Formats: sequence, C-alpha cells, structure tokens
Amino acid sequence: MLEFLAAHKPGHVEWLLLSAALFAIGLYGVLTRRNAVAVLIAVELMLNSAALNFVVFNRYVAPAAFDGQIMAIVVIAVAAAEVVVGMAIFVALFRHRATIDVNRMNTMKD
Amino acid sequence: MMHDAVLTVLFYALGAFAVLCALAVVNARRLLRAALALMFVLLASAGLYLLLGAEFLAGVQVLVYVGGIVILIVFAVMLTSAADLLEDNPRFGRKLAGAVASIGFLALAGTVFSRIALRAPAPGTHPPDDASAIGRKLLDFGAEGYVLPFEIVSLLLLAAVIGGIVIARKTPPPGQPFTSGGDAPGEADIALPRSQRDEPEGPDA
Repeated sequence: MLEFLAAHKPGHVEWLLLSAALFAIGLYGVLTRRNAVAVLIAVELMLNSAALNFVVFNRYVAPAAFDGQIMAIVVIAVAAAEVVVGMAIFVALFRHRATIDVNRMNTMKD
Repeated sequence: MMHDAVLTVLFYALGAFAVLCALAVVNARRLLRAALALMFVLLASAGLYLLLGAEFLAGVQVLVYVGGIVILIVFAVMLTSAADLLEDNPRFGRKLAGAVASIGFLALAGTVFSRIALRAPAPGTHPPDDASAIGRKLLDFGAEGYVLPFEIVSLLLLAAVIGGIVIARKTPPPGQPFTSGGDAPGEADIALPRSQRDEPEGPDA
C-alpha cells in the first residue's frame, strides 16, 4: 500500500491536469452563467487555476527560483483589482437598470 | 517513502475536493452558495500551494483571496440580490456549448501535457526561507528583479480603489454639484467661513 502510494507520486502531468480541469470548469461557468456576478466568480476560478499553473512550473522547472511564485502574487493582486472594479460596475448597473443579466447589458451606450 | 505516500494522498484528496467544489461553483443556483464553494476551492488551492512548497503564497492566498475577494463577492451578491436571487437554469444549447468548449480544452491540454517532457530540475536547491527571498526579489533593481511590476501593481491597485469609489457612488441629480452627494443643498454656505461670504449686512459693515 505504502509502496503503491509512494510510486504514484504526482508528477508535473498530474498537477497540470488538475489545474487544466479547474480552468475548464471556470470556462464552462463563464459560458453558461447569465448573472454577471456568477460570471465574475467563474473568472476568479480561472485566474486561480492560472496562478496554480505558475507555481507548478516554478516547482518542476526551476525549483531554486521564485519567479513563478511572484507571477502568482501578481495574478492575485490583479484579481483583487478586477473584483473591486467589477463589483462597482455591477452595483452601479443594478442601481440604474435593476438587472445584472449579461444578456441585457448590450444597451450601455444610452 | 512515507513522505511520498502522504504527498500522494494529500494531492489526490485536495485535488478531488477542489474539482468537486469548482463544479458546485458553476452549477449552484444560489449565488451565495457559489461564493461559499469558491471559498472552499481557494482554501484547497492554498493547501496545494503548501504541497508545492510555496508557504508564503499559501498565506497570501488565504489572506487576500479568502479574506478579501470572497468577502467582496459576497457583498456584490447581497447588494444585487434583489435582481434575481436564483440563477435560472441555462438553456440546454448553452449548456452543451459550454460543455463542449471546456471538455475540448481539457482534452487538448491533456494531450499536450502527456507529450511534453519538462527539463529535469536542478536537484534540491529550494531555499528554506522563501518569504524573505520573495521579498528581496520583488524589490530587486537588477535584471532578475521585479521592482517595476511591483510598482505597476501598486498603481493598478490605487486606480482600482479610485475607480471603484467613483463608479459605485451615488450620482447627484442634474444641477447639483458633484461633490455634495446630491442631498445637501446648503453645503456651500456651511463650507465657507463667515468672513468670506459676500453678505452685504455683516456685523462690521
């Protein structure tokens, strides 16, 4: 049992597949959701999986360096900025239109 | 060997938990539940960062993502919840298109990953003290340093804060000055000191 588990230690393929699975689920959410906040949540999922990918490559390609982790920190900071602006836009839109349905957001110009 | 076995068990447990919670994120009909499931996905990601040896990043993930971004999303859900509390089920064609796109991406990525061979890493040179090494690298002026992205991110955060305030604040009705918030008509009288108002019948006139 112990030997089996130790022999099946996750390599870079398993890690990358996990992060690709999370990204694909986020993509599904972005394509199917209609509520803008739900779309934002799915985008957060995709950003998180991209950051995970950076750390995996950092670990398996250049374990002595920190470049991948720094990229992940930058991704987290950009995600925070994106959520702030997105939430402000949704709140303003909801106040003016009483809807946050992305299908009805095609009339922003008037 | 014990270490490797524990690593395997933790990887598959955390990975399965993260994938299940991510499925709950995109399928939950109540948005608050979706936000809660997102929080669990992010916590599982922090655990995965720990498995990868990125302790500082795991801390940042818990502090910023779980403590900040999820709270903001919950606020957004609550502030807009009167619109439609329940996300109605998407149409079948839409679901099918999303599923085809995401499964296609996953299949493509899986094929590519199984065919590449990564360069063998330099053996066991991970420094133990990674928080201070990351900090030094972020503020390094040299060719390997990241001081410029660091400063750009700080400007981006400032712009996001200002943009969030300006976009989400109440706009005054037409005719009112932008600074008064629209509900304080006598603000100009209060703001000016008495000596600077142009009143003809002052006490010393």
